[in-house]
Amino acid sequence: MGVQCQVLSEAEREVIHAESIRILEEIGVKFLSETARKIVSDHGARVETGSKIAKIPRELVDQALATAPRSFVLGARDPARDFALPSAYSGYILDNGGVFVRDFRSGERRNCNLQDLVDFNRVFDAMSLASVAWPATIADLFPPHSASIHTDIHSLMSSSLHIQSEFWSPREVPFILEALTAILGDEKAVKERKIFSVVYCTLAPLVHEGGMCDAYLELIEFGAPILIFPMPCAGTTGPASLFSNIAMANAEALSSLVLFQLARPGTPLVFGDAGGAANFANGTFLEGAPEMVLQTAARAEMARFYGLPNSQAGCLTDAKDHGAQAVMEKLITTLPLVLNGTDLIQGPGALETSNMMTLEQIVVDEEIAQLCKRLREGVDFSAAKNLFDDIQKVQPGGHFLMADSTLANCRTAEFFRPALCDRNPYERWSELGRPDVYSKAKERVEEILAQPQKNPLPDDVIGKLEDIMQRADEALN
Amino acid sequence: MAIQDIFQSIVAFNDAHIAEQVQAEIDAGTDIASILNEGLIQAMDAVGKQFGEGKLFVPEMLRAAQTMKVGLEVLRPHLAGAEREERGTVVIGTVKGDLHDIGKNLVAMLLEGAGFTIVDLGVDVEPEKFLEAAKAYDARLVAMSALLTTTMPQMERGVRLIREAGLHAKTVVGGAPVTEDFAIKISADGYGADAPSAVELARTLTSER
Repeated sequence: MGVQCQVLSEAEREVIHAESIRILEEIGVKFLSETARKIVSDHGARVETGSKIAKIPRELVDQALATAPRSFVLGARDPARDFALPSAYSGYILDNGGVFVRDFRSGERRNCNLQDLVDFNRVFDAMSLASVAWPATIADLFPPHSASIHTDIHSLMSSSLHIQSEFWSPREVPFILEALTAILGDEKAVKERKIFSVVYCTLAPLVHEGGMCDAYLELIEFGAPILIFPMPCAGTTGPASLFSNIAMANAEALSSLVLFQLARPGTPLVFGDAGGAANFANGTFLEGAPEMVLQTAARAEMARFYGLPNSQAGCLTDAKDHGAQAVMEKLITTLPLVLNGTDLIQGPGALETSNMMTLEQIVVDEEIAQLCKRLREGVDFSAAKNLFDDIQKVQPGGHFLMADSTLANCRTAEFFRPALCDRNPYERWSELGRPDVYSKAKERVEEILAQPQKNPLPDDVIGKLEDIMQRADEALN
Repeated sequence: MAIQDIFQSIVAFNDAHIAEQVQAEIDAGTDIASILNEGLIQAMDAVGKQFGEGKLFVPEMLRAAQTMKVGLEVLRPHLAGAEREERGTVVIGTVKGDLHDIGKNLVAMLLEGAGFTIVDLGVDVEPEKFLEAAKAYDARLVAMSALLTTTMPQMERGVRLIREAGLHAKTVVGGAPVTEDFAIKISADGYGADAPSAVELARTLTSER
């Protein structure tokens, strides 16, 4: 059966759902987008003109849940890296690590540049559990309003994986559609392959942004999936209890589900969460805390309660550098999600509360992910693993080193082999220069970056994409 | 002894009795300046010190500031202008294109608690609005916040406008993607890494004049 964990009991899931409905019906959510207000109002939500708050009745939630797809595939530019939802194992999303990078050579924090974005994608591509890439944020290289177009297109060029991103204005939508069409050949393929999706962060507490909302209402006409990603912070932008912060995040997610299902029934939605907890000493957001993962794990279970695919924030840390804190916090914010069967976990590569990315951390996080996956798989109780005959053959006092089953099984996945953790005797480890997981990760990064880029796009397509980026600069700024 | 009760109410962030405590002192004929300085201001300084050291949490600090404010409202009609220590006005807002305001709200509340007068322009604030408000309220500080990298250039415009207008107001910037280097690059007068350091920064910059 494997090792499993559960944060919410069946009764607690019912309570979270009931509280979410109570929030939507009695308090409501604010839609800054006029289009969004009209959509929910036309379907029976009561919208107050002045406050822009819509009270959403439970019937609309039920209606939205009935039309939301239970399964779909996040396509990738390399079809071998397509990711089917729901998933039998936890896949990983390269974090959008804020604007900073830990420089691979100097170890110093600096702003992220275009080469970093390409390197992140190339290293993440080489990780076996990598499933989706969210482009890094580049602060000052591109004009602000076309920056997303640049980072998305450069990610589509440098990654084999499904790309997810964010838009702030409907004006960006035609440019990404044109880019996807240039890569995939035609609009039909854009709709079918779904190699690009967007992240929809509600603005806690209980507000839907205007520009982002309008952009996505246009984008869904082209079949793009949306990751619904509330991130209320318990104690600041959310209530100061995990129970109510989970319920409020769930209400924000359900209101997003209602909006996009009413706008276009059948829109593929990923039910996610990136809630956190306040650092009460200074008011900032905490990601590496147990209470973060308790919330996102709970929301993963709510997604399953509704029968929806899900993606959760995890594998995160508030550490400012490589080291024990990063590994400790990332492990505890990954394991519960893997053990409760979360489809996608977003966090690899990030340090400093998702403000900074590092190449080595991507490799270290793959090791954490593999360790958690092995735990999840548990103990194999199949008949083939019952080695009674060997025990009988060896008899008391012998050994199993020469048994056929030992030879057959020693390289199977049942016996985990770490890529980074050292298992040498002390003397050998010392001779090797006392490697730790980060020094080994650094070597792995160098190996990956020394290899040619996987799946490069043809030159004519790259030419079209560069033209699109240039036109976006002129049109959007 | 009773001034000590006022002090205690604030450091214990208990606003239940502060109004009566201050009123009782006024009625007893206690020196108004003593109530203000030894009761209210010294208590907030003690609280501010604990907060700066990370010993006091944000909700406790905010409640202490609210307690102080309740006491000050009772005292205010009795204050001659010269007796009040004015720290000055801070114009604050989240820059144009950005709707994220939790950091800005927190800094505004803490600055108010530290004795500044706050003019909160809200979110999505045009650089010109910062300038107008800085002029209208004779601000000593203009504080701009951003969470999105795409909106950071608006800080540069805001700082430039205020400088070009020749105002004496100092400019400070903050928010997750903002760094000290960025603040220097755009010629802002200061950068707060988090809310407590923003308060320290405001105190330092306004005492320079």
